[in-house]
Amino acid sequence: MSTLTTEVSRRVGPAVAARTVEARKVYGKGAAEVRALDGVTVDFAAGHFTAIMGPSGSGKSTLLHCLAGLDSLTSGRAFIGDADLSTLNDHDLTILRRDRIGFVFQAYNLIPTLSAIENVTLPLRLAGRKGDDDWISSVVGTMGLSDRLQHRPAELSGGQQQRVAVARALATRPAIIFGDEPTGNLDSRAGTEVLTFMRRAVDEMGQTIVMVTHDPIAASYADRIVFLADGRVVDEMADPTADLVLERMKRFGE
Amino acid sequence: MLRTSWKGLLGHKFRFVATALAVTLGVAFMAGTLVLTDTIRSTFDNLFADVYQGTDAVIRGKASFEGPPGAGVQRGRIDAAVVDTVRRVDGVAAAEGDVSGYARLVGKDGQALGNPATGAPTIGMSWTENRALNTFTLVSGTAPGRDDEVVIDRKSARDGDLEVGDTTTVVVGRPMRVRIAGIARFGKADSPGGATIVAFPRQAAQRLIGEPGKYDSVSVLAAGGVSETELVRRLSAVLPPGTEALTGAAITAETQSEMAKAFRFFNTFMLIFAVIALLVGGFMIFNTFSITVAQRTRENGLLRALGASRRQVLGSVLLEALAVGVLAALLGIAAGFAVALGLKGLLAGVGLDIPTGSVVFTSTTAIISFTVGVGITVLAALSPARKAAKVPPVAAMQEGATGSTGYGSRQRMVVGAAVLGLGLAALLIGLFRDVEQPVVIVGAGALLVFFGVSILGRTISLPLSRVLGAPLPRLRGVTGALARENAMRNPKRTAASASALMIGVGVVGLITIFVSSTKASMDAAVDRAFTGDIVVDSGGGMFGGVDPGLAARLRALPEVDTAAGLRQGVAQVAGSAVMVQATDPRAAVELMKVGPVAGSPADLGRDAIGLHEDVAARKGLRLGDPVPVAFKDSGTRSLRLALIYGENRQAGNYLLGTEAYEANFATRMDSKVLVKRAAGTSPEAALAAVKQVGQAYPGAKVLDRAQFKAEQTKPLNQLLALVYALLGLAILIALLGIANTLALSIVERTRELGLLRAVGMTRSQLRSTIRWESVVIAVQGTVLGLLIGLFFGWALVTALADEGITVFRVPYASLAVVVVLAALAGMVAAVPPSRRAAKLDVLRAVVTE
Repeated sequence: MSTLTTEVSRRVGPAVAARTVEARKVYGKGAAEVRALDGVTVDFAAGHFTAIMGPSGSGKSTLLHCLAGLDSLTSGRAFIGDADLSTLNDHDLTILRRDRIGFVFQAYNLIPTLSAIENVTLPLRLAGRKGDDDWISSVVGTMGLSDRLQHRPAELSGGQQQRVAVARALATRPAIIFGDEPTGNLDSRAGTEVLTFMRRAVDEMGQTIVMVTHDPIAASYADRIVFLADGRVVDEMADPTADLVLERMKRFGE
Repeated sequence: MLRTSWKGLLGHKFRFVATALAVTLGVAFMAGTLVLTDTIRSTFDNLFADVYQGTDAVIRGKASFEGPPGAGVQRGRIDAAVVDTVRRVDGVAAAEGDVSGYARLVGKDGQALGNPATGAPTIGMSWTENRALNTFTLVSGTAPGRDDEVVIDRKSARDGDLEVGDTTTVVVGRPMRVRIAGIARFGKADSPGGATIVAFPRQAAQRLIGEPGKYDSVSVLAAGGVSETELVRRLSAVLPPGTEALTGAAITAETQSEMAKAFRFFNTFMLIFAVIALLVGGFMIFNTFSITVAQRTRENGLLRALGASRRQVLGSVLLEALAVGVLAALLGIAAGFAVALGLKGLLAGVGLDIPTGSVVFTSTTAIISFTVGVGITVLAALSPARKAAKVPPVAAMQEGATGSTGYGSRQRMVVGAAVLGLGLAALLIGLFRDVEQPVVIVGAGALLVFFGVSILGRTISLPLSRVLGAPLPRLRGVTGALARENAMRNPKRTAASASALMIGVGVVGLITIFVSSTKASMDAAVDRAFTGDIVVDSGGGMFGGVDPGLAARLRALPEVDTAAGLRQGVAQVAGSAVMVQATDPRAAVELMKVGPVAGSPADLGRDAIGLHEDVAARKGLRLGDPVPVAFKDSGTRSLRLALIYGENRQAGNYLLGTEAYEANFATRMDSKVLVKRAAGTSPEAALAAVKQVGQAYPGAKVLDRAQFKAEQTKPLNQLLALVYALLGLAILIALLGIANTLALSIVERTRELGLLRAVGMTRSQLRSTIRWESVVIAVQGTVLGLLIGLFFGWALVTALADEGITVFRVPYASLAVVVVLAALAGMVAAVPPSRRAAKLDVLRAVVTE
């Protein structure tokens, strides 16, 4: 299942692709104050597939957004590789997102006026780069999109659309890919399909993926799960299975 | 439902204001025009009522014929002896003969005042001694005593920096030195309608301006107890045939109505632009409501699901339109005052000076402007409102339902093509067939063409955007590609935005082509018909000129081979009131190349006339036939058709020899002098020599061939500037429309834009995308407009071939500039929406609630 390289990197102790230190995010003031993140310190290892879970309002999405440079922390720090996001302005953050981060959102992942292949290469073209043709074709091949490249998003199924989104995220060989409930809008078959492809991206291409989900089955595809509650990291689980995850999640209800 | 409409408006203040603004500008223009014309009319009405207050009766020659446009009714002069006859009538307290004609006053700096060729007339007249009868009132100095003393109007005194006691020049054909004896005002105004006035003592006026022993009219003052009507009855009994008497009240009313008639043209001219502006505003309203209705599909579905009837949904949209319309109309009416002042300034800029009076705002203005403003808004919102009412309740449950983006059904194409065809037919019939009210038919046709093209717009918009945007991906990479795709994704919307711009640009294109064709035709006519080197233009316009002595002096110069004066006057030839030209028959051959089709210029003697071949053909006249010609000074004569000639702009369509002219016109003035240099003299030397002589005639311009061509087309440039300024408004509204459409599209594409930003599009790349989309829309409207303008221009020029516009010239460079300007304007229009888009909160845009 695993390639030699990922196996090796796991053993040696993996490099950190992204991390936060005492991350805090506070919305509102005074009585209306909400602490979405309340001192989160967490590392995400390179070449790993990590899932972030937690009940609604636990801060899991906020953590993802702040790590991805879409939102800023109230205090604390977030790093992509060595880059401290709090020191970057809007333009630098944009470039960082373009060149070093990949995104898969729950929905509205694609530009409707562009074909599948144009969507895949969009970040590259925004950067004015040609990209590596071999790499792109291997990515779309891996994602099973080779015969769908000229289709517009409206002509693709939900699962295909999300696969295009994953392919786009992979196209720039980013340091890390963030998924925000990437299978949330899909039926279980299409969801399985997309998760399988994401798993392959990690195993075969050495990609780092961090995904927020509330679905235990989706989370079971990850190497590791970080559990959040009330803006804090409360638990972790390595090599999860769906049953174990479900079991853990039930405890949040108590 | 009322609450829903109201909340909807308050929720989108920016959109509300931007939409209202489009209609506001149109209404302001219309209200401004109405206010200004009412003000002008009232000012002149008061002015004439005031100056004729003391006049109880006026005696004048009976109308001989109605002159060509701009010349007015032609009347013969009356014998000076009539004054004595009138004075003996019982009940006459005083009677004075009046003379009026052309004179040109020169200011302190040596420059002639006023420009009778393009602006208000320059009038020479007799000073009326009786204060009650005099329409002028001295403000300083005295009445003119000696023959070289004059009274001038206060406006000219101010413009020419002249004071009582100053000596200056007046050109009455020939230049003469005069002393300013007095300065007068006309009623409460400084001058009658901006005209320049020079009043001489009566006999000097007869000699210098009119005809010795003749008057143009006689003003009569009644003795106490005799009514105006009674006075006129008694006068009529003793007047010789060919003269008439009318009451002071009648002359006041007649002058007032002539003034109103003169300004009716201006009124119509301005209202055309108001209609264009309102039409463009209507497009914008339609577009805005179409988009907002589409965006609110879910909301309207929800209303329907909750039990609102179709009528209620329809009503809520129309109510919103009504609110927009009312606000816009009220603001527009208020802004109309400012527009009235602006228009006045604009007109003053092109030489139409209007006296100042208090601004007149009538209830009619208010009612018309309000009704039109509200009406257009509601009408434009009708179709979007009906679409909103058709939203099924289930739309409330459908994700992302934003209405159709398709590009036109077959039915739509048929309707569009039919409207376009009808418009083209009306246009061509109006232009080429002899019909009643051609202007109305052509106008309606033009309107239908615009509507037809905008209906077809959705169908043509997609391929057009594709073609126009084709270079973008290569020029601007992915941002360009996205811009092009965005312009293509909703052809309906792109087409409607472009249509609004198309109208203004279409008219710009038409006028530009028309003017360039006219210029080219004039240039060609000069080349074809003028073989000389230099032209001295008297600058006297339709009725003025310089003394024939100038031509004689020029002929005497060693640098000059030959010089001949060209005169003009009003006559009625075989039933048509026309301008006739007159010149020395020899000069007609040597300088004007009057190519005879039949006969010979040499035969243009005292009782002969020459006609353009088309005129002769139309009137069914052949060489040697008698032609009845009526002159105001000499009455009706029968002239022999001695010459039939081909196209010749210098000679016009009706040509007399100098002898015939002098036999029938009292004035002796050349409107132009054509000069041919002597062999062996350089053009520069000849020009310098002619200039040396011409200097003595202030107001006259010495021009070489190139300058002469340019001078002829100068009034066209002024017209062009005026029209561009007025159309600028319509184009501004259209650009506002594009900005508004883009702003609304951005709201619609929030998620998409957020996604683009999330995956690495920088703010400047995002702005660039929107900017280029705007450019595609703007250029599309411009290209369509120019195509329509090109067709209109071709049709108009072809229709006017008989009027001497023989060359169809498309000014490609100017039109290319228009396209480039449109592209730049599109970029400017995109500034506010693209800024808004760039400030978008990425997170809010991409995260699903």
